[in-house]
Amino acid sequence: MARSLKKGPYIDFRLDNKVQTQNESGRKSVIKTWSRRSMISPDFVGHTFAVHNGNKFIPVYVTENMVGHKLGEFSPTRNFRGHTAKKDKGKR
Amino acid sequence: MTKDDCYQVGHITKTHGVNGELVLFLDVDDPTEYADLDSVLLEVKNELIPYFIESLAIVKGSRAIVAFEDVDTIEQAERLINCGAYLPLDNLEPITDETRFYFHEIVGYQVVDANEGPLGIVRGVYAMNAQDLIAMDYQGKEVLIPINSDIVPTINRAEQKLNVVLPDGLLAIYMEDGAPDKAEFDGDADDSDDTNAH
Repeated sequence: MARSLKKGPYIDFRLDNKVQTQNESGRKSVIKTWSRRSMISPDFVGHTFAVHNGNKFIPVYVTENMVGHKLGEFSPTRNFRGHTAKKDKGKR
Repeated sequence: MTKDDCYQVGHITKTHGVNGELVLFLDVDDPTEYADLDSVLLEVKNELIPYFIESLAIVKGSRAIVAFEDVDTIEQAERLINCGAYLPLDNLEPITDETRFYFHEIVGYQVVDANEGPLGIVRGVYAMNAQDLIAMDYQGKEVLIPINSDIVPTINRAEQKLNVVLPDGLLAIYMEDGAPDKAEFDGDADDSDDTNAH
């Protein structure tokens, strides 16, 4: 069952406080978080989060198309080593 | 030819029809650049085997329906499912633009931060769905750097350097030893007691 719209998106209040503090001060340092279940709000765009995957922190630079997803979606907990050796991919 | 001399363009996902055609997933920025391929190397049992292409049609964005010579039945085609598709590195057009780069070409480059100066060497690139990460060796540890135009603005091919503007505190995260302060925890880290409290 989807979360009730009445409640609004879940964002851990301590994480939200960290983002709000940086937004007010204009700083953009890396925000460490364990809150994988927090939803990415538009305020997060442009910030870099270090999201814990149970083992280590994975840096996540938040862009507009990540809004509405959970932070944990971008910090895989398994098969992280399964990358391809050579790819024809330019910088996005 | 070995995999070191090639780059992966995609892989075979499934058969198409009963006449030996296959669906090739092209894991590239612009699949239409590969519409005129004559041949491709398929990784079969850890060996790269050249297959000549009879026809190739790009469909649905990154997918192409491809027919190989001497693959005429669905049984022959099924053996190629999940095989990686490779092309020689020579096929790549060199990029002269200093804001773009191929992932394979930056391996071994030195990372130079705008504030900290020279840092470490690029060990590899992790290609992930949402974002790609550079893995850098720094003081014996692996540091991950997100790839985007803000953090990795330019590349210096002549000096084999990757210019980055790391966000404050990124290096510190990987250099820390021991458990973090309790006050630093947020979210799921301190919920272990109440997760089963129904």
